[in-house]
Amino acid sequence: MGIRLYQDPQLEKPILVASWPGIGNIGIMAANTLRGVLGAEEFGEIEPWDFFYPKRVLIRKGILEYLGFPSSKFYFKKTEGKDIMLFIGEEQPTEGGRMYAEGRKAYHMANLVLDVAEKFKCRRVYTSGAAVALTHHTAKPRVWAVPNSESLIPEIKRYENTVLMSDIEGRGGHGNITGLNGLLLGVAKKRGLEAICLMGEIPVYLQGLPLSYPKASKSVLEVLSHSLKTEVNLDKLDELDREVERKIEEFYQQIPSEIRGQLDRLRHVAYAQPAEPGPITEAEEKKIMEDVEKFFKKRGGGG
Amino acid sequence: MSQGYPITIYKEPDLRRSSLVLGWSEDIGNLGRKVTDYLNWKLRGQEFAEIEPEDFFSLGGVGIRDNVAQFSESKFYACPEHELVIFQSDPPGAEWHEFLTSVLDVAEHHCQTKELYLLGAMVSFDAHTAPRQLLAVVNSAEMKEVLGQYALARDMDYQTAPGERPTLNSFLLWIAKGRNIPGVSLWVPIPFYLAAMEDAQAQKKVLSFLNERLGLRIDFSDLDQEIRKQNEQLARARSRFPQIDDYINRLESNLMLSEEENGELIKRIEDFLREGG
Repeated sequence: MGIRLYQDPQLEKPILVASWPGIGNIGIMAANTLRGVLGAEEFGEIEPWDFFYPKRVLIRKGILEYLGFPSSKFYFKKTEGKDIMLFIGEEQPTEGGRMYAEGRKAYHMANLVLDVAEKFKCRRVYTSGAAVALTHHTAKPRVWAVPNSESLIPEIKRYENTVLMSDIEGRGGHGNITGLNGLLLGVAKKRGLEAICLMGEIPVYLQGLPLSYPKASKSVLEVLSHSLKTEVNLDKLDELDREVERKIEEFYQQIPSEIRGQLDRLRHVAYAQPAEPGPITEAEEKKIMEDVEKFFKKRGGGG
Repeated sequence: MSQGYPITIYKEPDLRRSSLVLGWSEDIGNLGRKVTDYLNWKLRGQEFAEIEPEDFFSLGGVGIRDNVAQFSESKFYACPEHELVIFQSDPPGAEWHEFLTSVLDVAEHHCQTKELYLLGAMVSFDAHTAPRQLLAVVNSAEMKEVLGQYALARDMDYQTAPGERPTLNSFLLWIAKGRNIPGVSLWVPIPFYLAAMEDAQAQKKVLSFLNERLGLRIDFSDLDQEIRKQNEQLARARSRFPQIDDYINRLESNLMLSEEENGELIKRIEDFLREGG
């Protein structure tokens, strides 16, 4: 169970962007877009055998020709701004039927990713995921940023369209990040590496749908590209966003009008200042959440 | 007794050039367990090793089957006279690669295993009156050639469908390929309305192949009796319930039943067989 590096790129204090799939595939789509736009080169992988069950088999004329596993790959790109390493995990190594990685395997994978990061003298790590929020799909998603050290807060405060947990109403600066996108922050902290998780907002009523949410990936990438001092062309993501938006609208029209009416009110939520409360009261927020939950339960599990 | 976690060897088997037959419990038609039980009974298999369960199975309690508490088991049996190893196990729920590697470690290092025969069943929409087929997926062209003399369907094309995963047998076959151990995964289709029960015909189909291939010289008269009994039970179900007869007639004419009709046929046959037929 280990790492395979195919080449030894000469990188100067690279920044690592790591991501695994999660709600709305927000982080993984951001990382994959970054990889494509930069033309990052694959240079290694984490061997899958002990983390994953195979996902594909190909049998031709009765002969087993291929067995494919979820990939966990490293990429790099030397840029004028900063050298970049990417880690993209096709699946989280889950145990016991859970949705997100936790436990021994997750910890081991997080350490392997950081072993590679440290081998190339990386001192800064970004992960990315989803922030389920009381927001509307027509609104531009904000990015919730969680650092693993207090010293990073001033830097985050300079990011555009970004909030800290303490800026989110009712959170009091607290929360949790499930799965490896969160765990990596903790393991990085243990090793003395700086790490920030950037989570794109996804409307609460979309979290259970089997859809990607490129709009939030775009918000994450805007923050990342600024931080990486690298311009990232987001045209493809915009195109995808328009496609997904059509599907979301179709779904939205299927929501019972009473609940939709409540959700429509979220269209008008505007956060002039990060900590400023929106035009929805706490009681109304609770009612919306309950109605959405009821709707998904009725639909049979929200998918 | 020797132990190299997670494998416990109780007694080194006297095998020099063995074949390993593997069957999983919780298989369609209970095929893996029934066939390996039958081989063990007929060939007087002696338990000699097991894989310890804690890393591979959920140990948060026990399951109950036929009123009895069950515990996950992964056991090896040796039949030295026939150069045969039988491995019978519940399918592991975690650490699959380590588990399957352990199976091959026992086979290779303690049994000098040269070939693998992995048992599996699949759901068929044919009637039980249609002859059972036996499909083979191999991990080498040589093995395919060797099996050419047997009545097997050997030209299957298959690709994992979205949302599905490869079987444990495919996983094991692939690991074996990496260790240059030739193997075949045998698949017998079982009529869908017998999938949760047992199908003696399907068992015999697999056993007959193994009997011929491995030179086991098994007398199947008892199994033939089982098959006759099951056929008679199903014939009684057809004569007693015109609806069952109609459904099976349609299957025999290669007509598909609706989802609802499939469900009804399954329920009626299962109820009938459970009540003793």
